[in-house]
Amino acid sequence: MGSTEEESAVKEPLDLIRLSLDERIYVKLRHDRELRGKLHAYDQHLNMILGDVEEIVTTVEIDDETYEEIVRTTRRTVPFLFVRGDGVILVSPPLRTA
Amino acid sequence: MSGTVEKSSSATKTPADFLKSIRGRPVVVKLNSGVDYRGILACLDGYMNIAMEQTEEYVNGQLKNKYGDAFIRGNNVLYISTSKRTLAEGA
Amino acid sequence: MAPPLFVGDVTLPLQFLDRKQSRTQSHAMLFFSYFKDLVGREVTVELKNDLAIRGTLISVDQYLNIKLENTRAVDQDNFPHMLSVRNCFIRGSVVRYVQLPPEGVDVDLLHDATRREARGG
Repeated sequence: MGSTEEESAVKEPLDLIRLSLDERIYVKLRHDRELRGKLHAYDQHLNMILGDVEEIVTTVEIDDETYEEIVRTTRRTVPFLFVRGDGVILVSPPLRTA
Repeated sequence: MSGTVEKSSSATKTPADFLKSIRGRPVVVKLNSGVDYRGILACLDGYMNIAMEQTEEYVNGQLKNKYGDAFIRGNNVLYISTSKRTLAEGA
Repeated sequence: MAPPLFVGDVTLPLQFLDRKQSRTQSHAMLFFSYFKDLVGREVTVELKNDLAIRGTLISVDQYLNIKLENTRAVDQDNFPHMLSVRNCFIRGSVVRYVQLPPEGVDVDLLHDATRREARGG
């Protein structure tokens, strides 16, 4: 509704993303995928283009004998990646990520 | 049937009123996946996209991560609940 | 459920916008425009079913449906049924990532377009 006053402050959630443009961000995706990369472009769907991307995929396997959960992470880097927004769960500027 | 809106009474609040009223409050956001986020609600929009501060991520009740700022994409949100027992709020 | 990947020749609903339209609709056009400029380049499209297809970008539409030619599965051992597929149409909604060619990314241009879009949207 009435929402055309300030334009610089964080007034709507997407402002958080806007302020992260050209910064390295952390992105949590569905299916246990995580990305870290520099945010070069995004839209309101959270489609994004990231640069210098590191992707971490976490998989959990069950040991056949002990039935223990084995958590594996696989990492890779990609120079430039378009990310479709529908898989995004959370976005955070990683500098302040503890 | 349009004139009588009881703004003063906090008992008759629409969901939109509730969402407006909880900005700046400590909240718990539960996602469809079951993951909980606890933190201060900075703002939200009509898609239920959420911006939070001092956010803690809980998976199966266990603290898994902390984020200074966090944007949560609205489609993942199951509910938003006010919480009294986070961080710097006393009462 | 059949995998939502369609093989063969498909006519795309590639919409051409004149300037007037693109002004009012520009807020939803950033990545469509970006991918249009990328036509002719090699990209790797990673789908939500973990299939990754490398090929030449032939066309794209407003839904970010994508048409590729000279395609090959990046991991042919796990997806041997893709061996004979030379071109394909990919529904935008099944895309997880697109790996972009570094020479096809103008960072400053993207920043400007994003800021413009953020203002309009």
